[in-house]
Amino acid sequence: MTYIISAPPHKKTSTYFRTLNLSKIIALIPICLVAIYFFGVPAVQIILASVLAAVLTELAIQKAFKHKVTIKDGHAVLVGLMLALLIPPEAPVWIPVFGGFFAIAFGKFVFGGVGSYIFSPVLVSWIFMRSAWSNHMTPLSIPNVGQLSDFMLENGAGLLIDVSPIALIGGLYLIYRKYIDWRIPLAFFATMILIPQTLLFLAGVFDLIQHGVLNPLMYLSQLFAFLSISPELPYAMVGILFFGIIFLATDTPTTPVTKTGRLIYGVLCGVLVFIYGYFGNYVDGTLYGIFLASCAASFIEMNTRPAPYGKDSLPEKVYKRIMEKIPEPLRFEVIK
Amino acid sequence: MEIKTLDILPEKMVIPLKQHHGAVCEPLVKKGERVLIGQKIGDSREYFASAVHSSVCGEVIAVENFPHPGGNKVLSVVIKPEESDECVDLKPFKDLSSEELADMIKDSGIVEHHGAPTHTVLRPVGKQIDTVLINSTSSEWIGGKYKTPEEYAYQMIDALKLLMETAGASKGAIVLRTDDKDSIEAFEGIEVDNRKLLVAPLIGGRKIDYYFKEQESDIVVVSQKRIYGKNILNFFTYNVTGKRVGPGCNPTDVGVAVCGVKSAKALYDAAHEGKPYLDTVISLEGFSKDMDHIKVKIGTLFKDIIEGYGYSGEIGKIITNGVRTGVAQYTDQVPVTKGTTRITLQKPEEVMKEEFIDCIHCARCVDVCPVEVLPSRLAIMADMGKFDECRKLHIENCIECGDCSAVCPSKIHILQLIRYAKNSIGLAYGGISLGSSEKSNGSSTSGGE
Repeated sequence: MTYIISAPPHKKTSTYFRTLNLSKIIALIPICLVAIYFFGVPAVQIILASVLAAVLTELAIQKAFKHKVTIKDGHAVLVGLMLALLIPPEAPVWIPVFGGFFAIAFGKFVFGGVGSYIFSPVLVSWIFMRSAWSNHMTPLSIPNVGQLSDFMLENGAGLLIDVSPIALIGGLYLIYRKYIDWRIPLAFFATMILIPQTLLFLAGVFDLIQHGVLNPLMYLSQLFAFLSISPELPYAMVGILFFGIIFLATDTPTTPVTKTGRLIYGVLCGVLVFIYGYFGNYVDGTLYGIFLASCAASFIEMNTRPAPYGKDSLPEKVYKRIMEKIPEPLRFEVIK
Repeated sequence: MEIKTLDILPEKMVIPLKQHHGAVCEPLVKKGERVLIGQKIGDSREYFASAVHSSVCGEVIAVENFPHPGGNKVLSVVIKPEESDECVDLKPFKDLSSEELADMIKDSGIVEHHGAPTHTVLRPVGKQIDTVLINSTSSEWIGGKYKTPEEYAYQMIDALKLLMETAGASKGAIVLRTDDKDSIEAFEGIEVDNRKLLVAPLIGGRKIDYYFKEQESDIVVVSQKRIYGKNILNFFTYNVTGKRVGPGCNPTDVGVAVCGVKSAKALYDAAHEGKPYLDTVISLEGFSKDMDHIKVKIGTLFKDIIEGYGYSGEIGKIITNGVRTGVAQYTDQVPVTKGTTRITLQKPEEVMKEEFIDCIHCARCVDVCPVEVLPSRLAIMADMGKFDECRKLHIENCIECGDCSAVCPSKIHILQLIRYAKNSIGLAYGGISLGSSEKSNGSSTSGGE
């Protein structure tokens, strides 16, 4: 009797690429429903047009180049759905159709398909359309959180995604199930909170300096600024930012794979998004910020490669790093 | 834990003459000869070798190449056993010096479960051992050979003392697994040199040196999380002692000898009863709902174990030494060797048949890696043949635990690619032993689960 042989391991977890994509699609369904409730038929049109265009493009490309057809893994659906949520409901139907096509054809396949692209296909397509047809792609209103109920239903929503931040709560479940890594969302979100609060604190300190205050307790009391909400935060904490944090910034091929690298990437996203949002608005800022951060992903990864466990301790590493910076003739080696 | 004994009289027993890393033993018996239990049937003058004994009484029907659970064919002695317990007379060894103990270990055929002969671990040429560890984190405690847990604990301490004497080491430790309640209860509160020992957990920076001082004893019992893998000894040494073992080295380079529970027990038996390494306890997985443990004679064929156990379902895969890193067998006509720790059966519907897709850089493999390398990058580099890049990414640190392959959502064969790269690097740079190549100099650190 013969038996099957193969290389180890002989047992693997039942998580597939398909599982990851499907779970993200399911997490996005609530927000789609709220958007349809809020915007009506145009929202349905945009979502369907974008998803269909993306799937058909993938099918056509893979048929044309005689690749294995992979529309079943759900990636094209996910890309189409995510793109649809970034389009204003007033846009004509050919916008999402073109967007879905461009995302898959140019965002994904030109770079080499799943796992090879350096920018998220969603963002590639969105930025192209935002630049090419800005009259169709500019939302009618920019949301801001005036009261707590705006987290439930945002009346100032300009894009489909902005309608309800709370409907993205499924993303937290994905993080809990480890379908999405927690490092990037955490670092990103913390940065987005901390920068405005720090600015508020610094503003208070500079104000005191200008008034010539000498009492150190007065300066110390400015630390209470961290407890009050910065006027910047209501503009930042809108639906699209949470969407960016959970779904766009964590698009795995565009992020570093090292552990510290992912934390740094999250912070970088936060800084860039904040700069964009501070001087512009947070709707465009989120998307442009994440897009720019992906440029640095590879650089971050190369510089955060983990050291081997059995070789250098932390002081040794610091010592070596300093010694590398010193020019050769000035070096005096104490430890070899 | 209940241990069964396999009580069958098989048609034939196959005892491979190479159950260790190093040289193949020369057969001492010829076809047609009658052998007794415990009779030496293979020996070698090489340093990296260990003697082989017959585990049954019977007639030698062939000395030929026979499938080995490692995957290749190896010269083996085939014995037709008879129903008799006739045994060569065994006499205990008493008051031996360090060198005599080492010779006795080689003569009794005691090897580690990962393949290195125990005497090469304890008395490596040109190196001084100062600490002996008994690793009981991966193998279950071999309860079948003891009446009570206390007996187990005291025999292990005695065995550790013997090991320390052989190695000339001053310190010794037994490392348990934190979730192995049976063993921890057995060791809790035993007395060594009139001092009570407590099982101490290895947490953070507290390595065994701390406990040597705290418990004012040269022998301590510690516990740590389970680690498994093909090539774990360096990582294990670092975890337990805090000593860093460089790439291409093994624990003996920093003065640490790591032994398994089974070899410790075998040494104890050899010293007190004069019994060579004849039987071993293996785990059976997939035979029934639970994990079973069974005591078998070395040389029993898998077929006889499966039949003797009464398993009759269909079999898709037979795997030795665990599903993570073990070897799938192409035939059930392979014998249990000293290195066998587990037999796993998979039904045809349980066997994975998945095609891999491109890496999506999800970094799950990075998150699960116990030694902090970047498995996904290593796999890509290995696939492209860029082995020097692999060395820059510290491929030599990989302990081949297989966690990365198991969690990969793209189902990439990461472990296989890393092993391929390691072997290629080993071939290209000759002397550098990276652990997984079989033909390394015998002190190789690769091992079973």
